[in-house]
Amino acid sequence: MSPVEGGRLTDADRTTLSTVLDRLIPAVDDLPGAGKMGLAREIETRARRNRRLRSSLTAVMDALSLDLSAHAAGGFNALDTDAQIEALEIVESSIPDQFAPFLQLVYTIYYMQDAVLKRVGWTTGAVQPAGFDVEPFDETILANARQREPFWRKTE
Amino acid sequence: MSQTSQEDQIADVLIIGAGASGAAVAWKLSEAGFNVVCLEQGRWVRPENYVTGDADWELRALTDWSFDPNVRQRPEDYPVNGANTPITPLMFNAVGGSTIHWTAHTPRFHPSDFRVKSLDDVAADWPLTYFDLEPFYDLNDEMMGCSGISGDPANPTRSPRQMPPLGLGEDGKKLVAGFEKLGWHWWPSDSYVNSVPYGEGRGACNYCGPNGLGCKVKAKGSTDVTYWPHAIENGVALRTRCRVTRVTVDEDGKATGADYLDRNGRLRHQAAKSVVLAANGIGTPRLMLMSKSDAHPEGLANSSGLVGKNLMFHPYAVVMGLFPESLESWKGPQGNIFMSQEFYETDQSKDFVRGYSYQIVRSSGPAWHARGGFDGPVPWGENHHDAFANRFGKAIGIAVIGEDLPEEHNTVSLDEQLVDGSDLPAPKIDYTLSTNSRRLLDDGIANAQKVLKAAGAIDVSVNPLLKAGGWHLMGTARMGTNPAESVVNEWGQAHDIDNVFIVDGSVLITGGAVNPTPTIQALALRTADYIVRERSELKSEPTQVVSE
Ligand SMILES: Cc1cc2nc3c(=O)[nH]c(=O)nc-3n(C[C@H](O)[C@H](O)[C@H](O)COP(=O)(O)OP(=O)(O)OC[C@H]3O[C@@H](n4cnc5c(N)ncnc54)[C@H](O)[C@@H]3O)c2cc1C
Repeated sequence: MSPVEGGRLTDADRTTLSTVLDRLIPAVDDLPGAGKMGLAREIETRARRNRRLRSSLTAVMDALSLDLSAHAAGGFNALDTDAQIEALEIVESSIPDQFAPFLQLVYTIYYMQDAVLKRVGWTTGAVQPAGFDVEPFDETILANARQREPFWRKTE
Repeated sequence: MSQTSQEDQIADVLIIGAGASGAAVAWKLSEAGFNVVCLEQGRWVRPENYVTGDADWELRALTDWSFDPNVRQRPEDYPVNGANTPITPLMFNAVGGSTIHWTAHTPRFHPSDFRVKSLDDVAADWPLTYFDLEPFYDLNDEMMGCSGISGDPANPTRSPRQMPPLGLGEDGKKLVAGFEKLGWHWWPSDSYVNSVPYGEGRGACNYCGPNGLGCKVKAKGSTDVTYWPHAIENGVALRTRCRVTRVTVDEDGKATGADYLDRNGRLRHQAAKSVVLAANGIGTPRLMLMSKSDAHPEGLANSSGLVGKNLMFHPYAVVMGLFPESLESWKGPQGNIFMSQEFYETDQSKDFVRGYSYQIVRSSGPAWHARGGFDGPVPWGENHHDAFANRFGKAIGIAVIGEDLPEEHNTVSLDEQLVDGSDLPAPKIDYTLSTNSRRLLDDGIANAQKVLKAAGAIDVSVNPLLKAGGWHLMGTARMGTNPAESVVNEWGQAHDIDNVFIVDGSVLITGGAVNPTPTIQALALRTADYIVRERSELKSEPTQVVSE
């Protein structure tokens, strides 16, 4: 039976998901990995609101549990780091259509976190209402382009 | 002036669809005093509700604000069976239609686009010329508000643009240098994005970036903020959340109006003296095929059998250049930097006909970069952070927009199983990329790599065919002089039914190698102009009706 019912994870699945997140986006500088950052809950909640994301989360969690239950007591969490990465690579290549939206969701939630945005130098969060400053167009840059004779194809 | 309720009013003109073309026609006819009703399955989207002001905007782009109706799945969307096409059809259903999502990059067709049979012996010539359409392009520019600058040597001289071009940004300047080094054409894009305030209540672009998610400051010309306020002021009755189920006809096969489901799901009928279809290149053939009757057994106005045939998309390839330094390439509207039309026209030395444009495209927010933008995702695992840092703000894309020639086997038909939320058949798309298109894109990719290298890119990646790129829906009820080879005449009037007009992208005979919407809207205005001039018998005493 699927470990994920209606997109809702069990506590054990949440632990697995957290470990998965740490493998996908590991710690960097003073930031913990995506799992230790506590993003499993948010990923689960956001996935529940969208059919495609929900089924991708379910598929990935299913694939991990099915694959690992066959040859590891304690499941994904009991594996060492290299084996966890290998297990994820297998899932990625065996269900690419479901893994891709799952990874998109993980990345998107991670890059919504204030601490992450600060680290990568994205200062705005939402892009409105502040927008960005861009210099007005300066016509002098057209000096060369204007030299060219019209070259569109004449028709009559 | 008499007052009537919506039920007993017979409209002079019933427009189906309130997007780019429907809005233009509604305005033009109402200016001339026609009594116009428009039925739109979507609703108004208030600019203040656009998600770019929310912290989760990048997630919303993946879910309820996706360009893909199959992902979005709002009640007003209909599903599209896209299993048999390498390009996913994209659209939005609301007042403003797909212009809510568009990036408003607004070039014009070239004169040669109207003469492809005579010049290159492919497809068919149009029954009109670029210069016939020019006044309507100009009128549309004025209504939508165009930023740009005249003098482009790749195109016929244009009237002065309403506003100066948008700023190029550091990324734009970087690529200009590449094109100049190779001596290749470039010119700032015409864009229906305000570089300075223009139009009532419409501010200047503040370069926030993702204007495909809607523009909160109304700098982007979506038709809900351009044509519609004027059309409504003129008395057009725009009824939202009304899904048309079929166009009705009398025993002679003339249109009498349309059946529709109102916002409460009740089946109603809107009577009209004429019907204008503006439901886009997929929605219109779908509706025509749903409108079979004794008089039109193959679907409305389909004696040619061409309704739903000749679907064109514009296949896109995207070549991304990575630069060593940050160009902050998220600053500014994503698709509105500049264009190159160096390779627009047929070159006899190549193994394909017609050509392509380059549209220079920016990146977007951090999650967009991680997800890969136009390319594959940044790898997960140990290398993730370094790989992300190498891309973030340093990527510029060159989109190759290829001309897609009409082919009868590329079709919109009615799916036999899939239905929308009202149990109406969903459209099914069958599309294959032609050899000509593939060759043309490959040539575009090779030249884009050269220009990115010339601009100083340290790494270049190629997406040979953008899957999520079906934003231009064209050709499925095409125009022509011969009723056996086309669905409408040069005025957009159905050959089979003189009180049915089609004004959306369906009527395009060929697609050019540019974004098509100014051409779609100019044609729509031309059709409206024809109705005003030649079909005054459709016009009745003014009445006053209420919009919803
Ligand atoms: C993400 C994106 C980016 C784009 N960028 C550009 C760009 O930069 N430049 C450019 O030129 N073009 C661009 N386009 C394309 C442009 O938006 C379309 O060409 C244009 O909107 C087509 O106009 P239309 O009137 O044919 O249809 P639409 O604008 O799609 O309007 C059709 C309307 O009809 C309604 N409708 C359909 N069926 C029914 C029914 N049965 N009953 C009632 N209502 C119905 C729909 O709800 C919709 O509102 C883009 C499109 C997308 C999706």
